[in-house]
Formats: sequence, C-alpha cells, structure tokens
Amino acid sequence: MSTQAPHLKTANQETGVAGSRGLSQYLVMPVVLGIALLALYVYVSLQELDSIEERSLNAARLTRAVWEHIQLTAVSTLLTLLIAIPLGILLTRPFTRRIRPYIVTVLTVLQAVPTIAILVLLAVAFLFLGFAAAIVGLVLYAIVPVLLNTMVGLEQVDDAVLEAGRGMGMSRTTVLQKIELPLAIPVMLAGIRTALVINVGTAALVTYINAGGLGDIIVAGLSTNRIVVQIVGAALTAILALLIDYIAGLIEDLLRPRGL
Amino acid sequence: MSFLEFLETRSSDMVELGLEHAAVVGLSVLLATIIGVTLGVATYQRARARGMVLAITGAILTIPSFALFILLLGPLGLGWPPTVVALTLYGLMPVVRNTITGLRGVDPAVLEAAKGMGLNRRQRLLRIELPLAWPVIITGVRVTTLVLLGITAIAAIINGPGYGEFIFTGLARVGTPVAVNLVLAGALGVMILAVLFDILFYTVRKLTTSKGIQ
Repeated sequence: MSTQAPHLKTANQETGVAGSRGLSQYLVMPVVLGIALLALYVYVSLQELDSIEERSLNAARLTRAVWEHIQLTAVSTLLTLLIAIPLGILLTRPFTRRIRPYIVTVLTVLQAVPTIAILVLLAVAFLFLGFAAAIVGLVLYAIVPVLLNTMVGLEQVDDAVLEAGRGMGMSRTTVLQKIELPLAIPVMLAGIRTALVINVGTAALVTYINAGGLGDIIVAGLSTNRIVVQIVGAALTAILALLIDYIAGLIEDLLRPRGL
Repeated sequence: MSFLEFLETRSSDMVELGLEHAAVVGLSVLLATIIGVTLGVATYQRARARGMVLAITGAILTIPSFALFILLLGPLGLGWPPTVVALTLYGLMPVVRNTITGLRGVDPAVLEAAKGMGLNRRQRLLRIELPLAWPVIITGVRVTTLVLLGITAIAAIINGPGYGEFIFTGLARVGTPVAVNLVLAGALGVMILAVLFDILFYTVRKLTTSKGIQ
C-alpha cells in the first residue's frame, strides 16, 4: 500500500527547497487538517445515522481505532529502525564494497512487493493473525526503504573526510562514531519519517488480519455498504497519516545538525 | 497441489492479470510523467512555486492508498477510473522532484553558451535543458513505476485490475490449501513485472539518453 513513499523525501538540497521553513509555512498543514476534520464532523452531523452507522461512528469506537492505529505505527516504526539502521551500517562497511551495488538493486526491486501480499501471506500460510502478525508484516515491509536510506546516507559521506579522520589517528570505529554517523543524520532522519509514513499507511490494511486500526472502520463501511462510514474511516486515516508526517517533519527540522 | 502445478493450471489467469496490471501501471506512469514533467518545467525556476508543488505532491504520496481508493469510490465508482486517477496522483512526486533536480543541475555555463548562440527560451529548454536532465527524470519515472506496481495490488479492493485479485481471493479462502498459492502467485507476478519494468527502463534510458552525456 501506500507505503509508497520509499525514501522519496530526501532530496530537498538538490531541488533547492530550503530546509528551514517560515512560520507561515509551518501553519499550513495544521490549518488544512483542522478544516478537513471540521468539515468531516459537520458532514457526519448532517446525516441521519441508522443503527448500523451508529455502531461504527461513535466516539468510543473511533477513539479506539485511532489509538490502535497509532500503537501499530509507533511499535512497528521503532522495531524497523532498530533492525534497519544497524544493518545499514553493517552493509556499508568496507568488506561489502564489491557486492553493495547488487544489494541495492535487489532491495530496490523488493520494494515493489505489495505490502498486502506480505500481510495476507502471514495470515494464509502461517495462520498468523492479530497485533503481533501485523507488527511483523509492517516491519518486514518498512525495513527495505529505511535500509536503503541508511546505506545511501552513509555512502554519500565524502571519502576525503573519512581519509582525513583516519589520518588524524582515529580508529575505524571512531571515524564511524565521530564523522560518518553525524554526517549521515539528515538522511537517517528522513528514513525515520519514511518508516512512519509507510507504517501509518500499511496499518490501514492490517484490519484484514484482524489487527484493528482505522482500517476496521473502512471495512465495516464496505461490508455493510454504508458510505458515510467508509468516508469517515478513509478520511481519518488520511488525516492521521498527514499529521504524523507533519510532526515527523517538525522533528526532522529540529534535530538536523546545525553545521549541515 | 504444489505451487508450480498451481501456476501451470492458472497460467492463463497469471498472464491475463499480469497484462492488466502492467497496462494500468503503464497508463498511470505515462500520465504521471506527462503531468509531472510539465509541473516541473513550469516551476523549476521559481523557489516558491517549486516548494509548493513538491509539498503538495509529497502530501498526496503520504495519504494511505487504501484511504484514497475509498475516497475516490464515491465520485469515480469501481474499477479502472479510480485506480488510474489514484495511481497517477501517487506517481507525480518522484517525477516532479527529479525533473526539478535534473533541470536545476544543468550547468549555467552551458545555458550561457546556448544563449550566446542565439537559442531562445523554448529552444534552450527542448534542445539543451531537457536532454541534459533526461537521465535524472527517467530515474524518477522508474521509481514511480516500482511504487505504483505495489500500490496497484491494493486496487483490488475497489475491483481494480491486476494481481491484487489473486491476493484478495487468497485472503477470502484463508485455511484452504489454494489460499497460499493464490497469494504467492500474486506476489510473484508483481515481482516479475517489477524486474521486467526495470529492464525496460534500463534499455529506454540507454536508448534515449543523448550520446554526448553517456
């Protein structure tokens, strides 16, 4: 699914869009999302809800779905980063130099595997359902783009800088800690954002393996043929995804090392 | 039934769904490329417009596809129309971004020389800037294609074309022996298409890149 955003959001420097934004630009997204929420609320209040629609569209059910969605996103993103970043560091050490282009090509093509296929395969092949299965599926899919991001980030660090570090008498480990990792921070921050966006999107699909989230609302609307319920579920999913991306963008701007 | 036997008995379905999948992705990539390159060309010289186009196309890519397909269900119905619209919207960002990156990467000295030779704005764009930016643009198109191949599988929710049908049929038959085969076949189909498209782009890139910058 969505999940779509494999390391796509990293090229601000080349496109010439300044990393720091003006205050007014920071306000656009919250205002747009606020208006969208308000419009959704007004739209639903104007409808005459029948008993089926009321069963899905009440505060308790919606809050639970949103909360489950946030938990799924947070846990899977954390695990993704814990696996993908160390693996990315490992795969950019000198001993992999010869095979690295092949690794990158394989990872790039692997991104085309549909998330839904991974999730459904866990369900049909291993009868693995629920929250744990959803986390496994989300992490499996999100690892690839974050790994690619980390590798690209570490590789773009100038060799001359590393050479200088070695020349100053630093060990390989010190060079990694003091030079490579700090210089690769912007790319890794982008990776965290990518993982969040992918996971919040894929989490909408885990309803198909009984793991809850906002997808529950959408599917409830689809199976009972209630358009209001479908729209509320889909709109809340979109708003949550945009909100999480926005917050991740703020954190990215705050944490970016000053010297870069 | 083993997976290979399954593939043999369902080979005509595999081919048919594969052609559908490739066609809907191909059409959407084509539309996204036309719109995306146009947007990139229109905005690359102005920082504000450029930032806005990148922000909007980036935000679209953030919207989960499951949600977007459902939201398009109301105005566009089922099947191809909402699928193509959603895929085209998703495909814009990498194309726009790479068009802008590519065009801005053209050496100013080369443009100066072109100006000195008396080429006007349109000639410079068509004969100098776009050919030089082309390898970067086509890389964006390739990324778009890989992303769209995966998203298309979800379009089966709204009766869209392609391998998603296998995956969702498999889900509906969870617990039966055929379920695993269906899902594996769907995933394998998408992977094969990804590899084929990748080869295609490699060839197209070779053939369409100006001799001078190869």
